[in-house]
Amino acid sequence: MDINWAMIAPLFVIQGLLLIFALLDWAKAEDYRGSKWMWLFIIIFISMVGPVLYFLFGRKR
Amino acid sequence: MQWMTLLKKELIENWRNRKFIWVPLVFILLAIMEPLSTYYMPEILDAVGGLPEGTVLDMPELPPGDVLMLSLAQFSSLGVLLIVLLSMGTIAGERKSGVAELILVKPVSYTNYITAKWLALFILVFIAFLLGLAGGFYYTTILFGELPMSAFFYTLLFYSLWLAFVVTISIFYNTIFNSPGLVAFASIATIILMSVITQVFGHVLDWSPNQISAYLSQMMVEETVSKDLIATGLTTAGMTIILLVLSVIMFKRKELAN
Repeated sequence: MDINWAMIAPLFVIQGLLLIFALLDWAKAEDYRGSKWMWLFIIIFISMVGPVLYFLFGRKR
Repeated sequence: MQWMTLLKKELIENWRNRKFIWVPLVFILLAIMEPLSTYYMPEILDAVGGLPEGTVLDMPELPPGDVLMLSLAQFSSLGVLLIVLLSMGTIAGERKSGVAELILVKPVSYTNYITAKWLALFILVFIAFLLGLAGGFYYTTILFGELPMSAFFYTLLFYSLWLAFVVTISIFYNTIFNSPGLVAFASIATIILMSVITQVFGHVLDWSPNQISAYLSQMMVEETVSKDLIATGLTTAGMTIILLVLSVIMFKRKELAN
């Protein structure tokens, strides 16, 4: 069985979108819970979960 | 109308803090990963390695209905957790930061405030679930075989009732506790407790909201909507309405006491 990459591509596209939106928001945000640069590492290096953690806990209202 | 203004405020806020973007994206990811990883399991095991040479893996052929239920199981665990976490501060946080006071100083009715919050949250969750389910359904039909469209719509309808219930539980605790952490903890604890009670007393609690997934799974096999599923849906809707009324009452009490 061959892996059909066209089938899996959307998975990477959505992950990429999550990453991009998290980074855009991170760049614009003013108040962070914890350090700003720590969140950058979390967003980039923990795939999938990182951006979600940032959106949930990273910003102050 | 005041209620529309409050709802609009909530929707705009959810748009500004990107919830309308990232929550649907995460739900889609959760849903499409299941059929994909199930389908490519032999390749994944192969790539990870560790199996002795010549091992023959006999993966059972799953019917498409079961695969869609796997996606739904993701919503039941991680999806519910996500809903609770993103709603834990919706009222509790506003109270803490003083925004709630700013709003409630004006002649805003408590009922409007709570129901607008509730609906805004449900709209967000529903859109995320709709897109996620559509993604899961799409991949399931491509990789595992056709499913009737009715399976999609019934799952959408009945599972939305369960998600509405989850949203209401979170709103309810939001009206009681001032700390978002406590709201999340109480909501999760309640949902886990309900599922334990349903498992232990399952023979009596035929129509417990926690049974919705089980009846949906049965619907996939039999391709008919059972009476139990409808009754469970109605019970869930009823409990949601009661809990919402209770939320308004609790909120009123608490605000008047202050």
